Amino acid sequence: MNALERSLQNRRQFLRRLGITGAAAPFLSGLPGMSSALGAQAGSKKRVVIMFSPNGTIPDEFWPEGEGKDFKFKRILKPLEKYRNRMTVMNGINNRIGGDGDRHMRGMSCLLTGTELFPGNIQGGSDSPAGWASGISIDQEIRNFFQSREDTATRFGSLEFGVAVPNRADPWTRMSYAGPNQPVAPIDDPRKMMEKLYGKMDDKESLVSVVDEVRTDLQKISSQLGAEDRALLDKHLSLVRDLETELSRSDEDTELAHPVPEVDPTIELVNDNTPRLSRIQIDLLVNALANDMSRVATLQYMRSVGQARMNWLGIEEGHHGLSHEPDNNKEAVEKLTKINEWFCGELAYLVERLDQTPEPGQDGSMLDHTLVVWLNELGKGNSHTLNNIPFVLIGGEKSTGFQMGRYFKAPKDTAHNRLWLAIARAMGHEIETFGTAKYCEGGPLDLA
Amino acid sequence: MYKAFPKSLLFLGHLLLAGSIVISGKAIDLENHPGKAIYQKLCLECHGATGEGADDLDVDPLVGTRTIESLAGRIDRTMPEDEEHLCVGDDAKKVAEYVYHAFYSPEAQAKLQPVTTELTRLTAPQLQNSVTDLIGSFLNPGHNPEITNRGLKGSYTLDDRKRAGNNDYKREQFDRIDPQIRFDFGSGIPELPEGKESKMTQFRITWRGSIYARDTGIYEFTLRTRNGAKLYINEHDTKLEPTIDAWVAPNNEVREESEKVKLLGGRRYYVTLEFFKYKEEKSLIELLWKTPHGPREPIPNRYLTTDHSHPVFVAQTTLPADDRSYGYERGSSVSRVWLDALTSTAFEAADHVIKNLDRLARTKDDDPEREKKLKDFAAEFTSRAFRRPLRGNERDLYVEKHFRETESLEDAIRRTVIYGVTSPYFLYPGTSFDSPRGPWARASALALSLWDSLPDQKLRNHAQNGNLEKPKFVEQEAWRMLHDGRARNKMNGFFEHWLELSRADDMAKDTQKFPDYSDGMLTDLRTSLDLFIEDIVWSEASDYRKLLLSDHLYLNGRLGKIYGKPDLKGGFQKVSLPAEGRTGVITHPFLLTAFSYHNNTSPIHRGVFLTKNIVGLPLKPPPEAIEFEDSKFPPNLTMREKVTEMTRAKACMACHSMINPLGFSLEKYDAIGRWRTEDQGKPIDDDSVLRTDYGNQIDIKGPRDVAEYAANSPAAHAAFIRQLFHHATKQPLLAYGVDTEDRLVEHFRNTNFNIRHLLVEIAVTATNPSLPDS
Repeated sequence: MNALERSLQNRRQFLRRLGITGAAAPFLSGLPGMSSALGAQAGSKKRVVIMFSPNGTIPDEFWPEGEGKDFKFKRILKPLEKYRNRMTVMNGINNRIGGDGDRHMRGMSCLLTGTELFPGNIQGGSDSPAGWASGISIDQEIRNFFQSREDTATRFGSLEFGVAVPNRADPWTRMSYAGPNQPVAPIDDPRKMMEKLYGKMDDKESLVSVVDEVRTDLQKISSQLGAEDRALLDKHLSLVRDLETELSRSDEDTELAHPVPEVDPTIELVNDNTPRLSRIQIDLLVNALANDMSRVATLQYMRSVGQARMNWLGIEEGHHGLSHEPDNNKEAVEKLTKINEWFCGELAYLVERLDQTPEPGQDGSMLDHTLVVWLNELGKGNSHTLNNIPFVLIGGEKSTGFQMGRYFKAPKDTAHNRLWLAIARAMGHEIETFGTAKYCEGGPLDLA
Repeated sequence: MYKAFPKSLLFLGHLLLAGSIVISGKAIDLENHPGKAIYQKLCLECHGATGEGADDLDVDPLVGTRTIESLAGRIDRTMPEDEEHLCVGDDAKKVAEYVYHAFYSPEAQAKLQPVTTELTRLTAPQLQNSVTDLIGSFLNPGHNPEITNRGLKGSYTLDDRKRAGNNDYKREQFDRIDPQIRFDFGSGIPELPEGKESKMTQFRITWRGSIYARDTGIYEFTLRTRNGAKLYINEHDTKLEPTIDAWVAPNNEVREESEKVKLLGGRRYYVTLEFFKYKEEKSLIELLWKTPHGPREPIPNRYLTTDHSHPVFVAQTTLPADDRSYGYERGSSVSRVWLDALTSTAFEAADHVIKNLDRLARTKDDDPEREKKLKDFAAEFTSRAFRRPLRGNERDLYVEKHFRETESLEDAIRRTVIYGVTSPYFLYPGTSFDSPRGPWARASALALSLWDSLPDQKLRNHAQNGNLEKPKFVEQEAWRMLHDGRARNKMNGFFEHWLELSRADDMAKDTQKFPDYSDGMLTDLRTSLDLFIEDIVWSEASDYRKLLLSDHLYLNGRLGKIYGKPDLKGGFQKVSLPAEGRTGVITHPFLLTAFSYHNNTSPIHRGVFLTKNIVGLPLKPPPEAIEFEDSKFPPNLTMREKVTEMTRAKACMACHSMINPLGFSLEKYDAIGRWRTEDQGKPIDDDSVLRTDYGNQIDIKGPRDVAEYAANSPAAHAAFIRQLFHHATKQPLLAYGVDTEDRLVEHFRNTNFNIRHLLVEIAVTATNPSLPDS
């Protein structure tokens, strides 16, 4: 490393630290300040992260062989082999919500809400047109619960991450709802997420050098002025000096347990960058949780009916188109298996990052305190079934008390509302029903 | 550039007193003036050799705006203190003349202590407009023609689709211009052109065009619909996020979705509204807005045009208000809040430039010349920010350096933009030029005084070609520039300032006494006043006197019920109320409401406003501030009786002899400006005699006499001119020569008091500031 590179490196590090000192506070959209001091919270910290991937799975390659503690992974879940003792594969969970909207729409917008869509004007490939979901989603329900209590409230409450989510708002692109008719848009631009979390790094970087130029100009001009005119410029000059001092102040008052990850400022939001964007978003997500900015997060890949072209897997066809191919199209099945393996790999990376990060101020790793849920809007792509949706739960043992390391087969016709009830209860939120009440019959699923 | 002048009156005073002074072609020999000897004998002891006064004797400097006659009268009556008989009659006149020309008058002061333009920074509106045009100048030549083709263009597509997945359906398409977006189609479909019949059941409509924002501020747009709609304001790419996304329509219910956007006044913004109705029973769509001063309403036809507009960058950061202590907004102070807002504005600008970089710099990703083009763009950007060509090593210092020191081209551009917007040469236009009368300084002065912004391409070309050396050319340019939304915006700002319109912000009234009063009524009144003023100012004659004398009023249905036209329906119409003696702005109900208490009129507020702003007589601050307390008076007194009683003291009457008669002239209009004939059961007396500082007496029988007096009074003309001058240039009038005010007053008279002529003449004057060395 030569001197220039070193100096750039140092400056980057310096600026990275700067981003967390609050030195340039007025220019930040907010500070990463925490609501509760690290390590001061009562009891074990509880978090939930929900990851979505679209268009159904390939059941033969997804569902393990065996049952209970005795099971064997097939291809799709292989990337999670290392965590088999820390996860539960949930078979037999159905999204039983009926009513308006095609199954992709209901699959997506009733997935986390557990309730019907309003009738509306958005027409799918079949069934009647529909509008937004008529209720709150489970992530937002838990968020509101956490935010209502001093010891669990955080700066954001929840964070909604996206990866390659197309820029349109309809029941196929939104799974998170703050309430009836209130879809929450995921942020799929890491730069925007970065700004939301830590303020604008590149602006601050530019400002440091520009402030220097402005100060020099002001000094030069001021020296040529008469006393009266100079007074105004000198005031300006002293304000600029103050700003400069603040910008260069060391990071003594660092509050963050984890430094801000670096985001390539030039990365474009295009299909072929999806693998890189995915990793950046996961890094930002883990970081935000580590800094206790939020205890609830969603991570949405594409959208229901998404047509991602996964060139990085050597697959040129759009994902949704492929998912309609019949089971006897071996080539399509192979490609869809690869696609789902890739999603599982991203999940594995998320889980690994959580596992490798010690829980700030508490025992164990972040994974011990974070329940990760992976889900899909369909059970199977070409049948559009909402039954037997591939749910996977990982980690969070210290906060949920769920029994892990098993292949769980739910009783017949189990509505997914009961899973949400179980998770809400595990987070300490003692609700009796969630979503449409009739699907909560039997109460929370017993996962202990 | 700008030099400070020694403050010492004495030093400069003696130098000048030795000479003689030429006034109106007649030389006055001050050295041998008969008044001088009297002054030295009777006055100098207290007032000092040049009227500087004496702190220890509590004698203020002898400077002011009284006339010689008025000074003479005052000396006759009151001077020397306790020996008033020593200087009366002719002697008093002689002393007055001497004092006036030697040091008392503004002109004399200007000679004693030359006034030069002050170094100020851009005001908040100037900064916002300049940043917008700095970026916008790379997309369009910089003119915002006024609205001509009104309405929005609707592209209609009807079809008979009945179920999903059926692609075999018929369509019918047509385009038409809709005056407003305000449709309730019920269970039907839009009307087809030429009365054609159609069996279609579903439809989509896309409206395109531009909206015109009259004022700068927050606009709240609202989509009211039962169906699917998306609204894009100032965003051409409909693949990007809409301003309002109401695409999903649950239950076919009427929904309202709103979003606030900050817009700069005097500009057009591209708008796209997409709408569709699919299988729902009913359909309805309305596009509404709430402007900074207006009511929430369907966007009126006069603000919609089918014309295209370029994207306009508008920084959403709020800048702190500018100093108004001199009576007009000036950029005379800086603060941390200001610096932070400036920096945040610069960040917004940088984001916008980076996002649209290839378009702005006319390049693309794989352009082999991209780096060169971006450097040239950066250099041109900096030059436009400086309002002149870069010189010496500036290109290296402010452009090349950024490219050398950063890792990516975008980072270099980011720095360039942030520097451009925060640079002193941009923020303090005065520091950028060698001479305040050079061609680039003149281009800048024109753009600032007429647009609050930067020179456009044409002005830059003229500066480059040396055309702005020629006065005739400068005037021609000023006229060209007047035909621009930004000039209208600047003029609107003047009226806001002159008539103190912001007084009505958050104004509340006693709702028991005035049950008709509401925020909605007040915003209607504001619209009524705006229409009245625009009508006059932008008519051919643009006659200042009509602002004071015109007897019509704009009323709509709601206002008609309150202001004596109960049969009026719908939107604003011009009406006349002959029985009520309305006369121009001074009896406009908006101003009468603004200059009133919550439960009663306020002759004092009204009188002070008329004295200073309309009639143009100077007022000093009151010797002691006394609050008007209604409860202290017997309840059966009229307002006039209460005010007369309260200001009876001699100390008060120095000013209230003017304030009260003017204020009483409006007593026939109550606290919300309605006509009345009685107060406390007694008939209202609005007659008085006004004794002016100039020694004359005027009979005033109601507001029309006040208006006529102001319309024909040179003092009123001068006051109007001074206020417009200050609003336009943000500089003291005297910095453009001691005789400039007189010249402008004469010009105003010679053009039949044409306000637009006056603004052009002011802009031309602004290109010729006094040079400190001359």
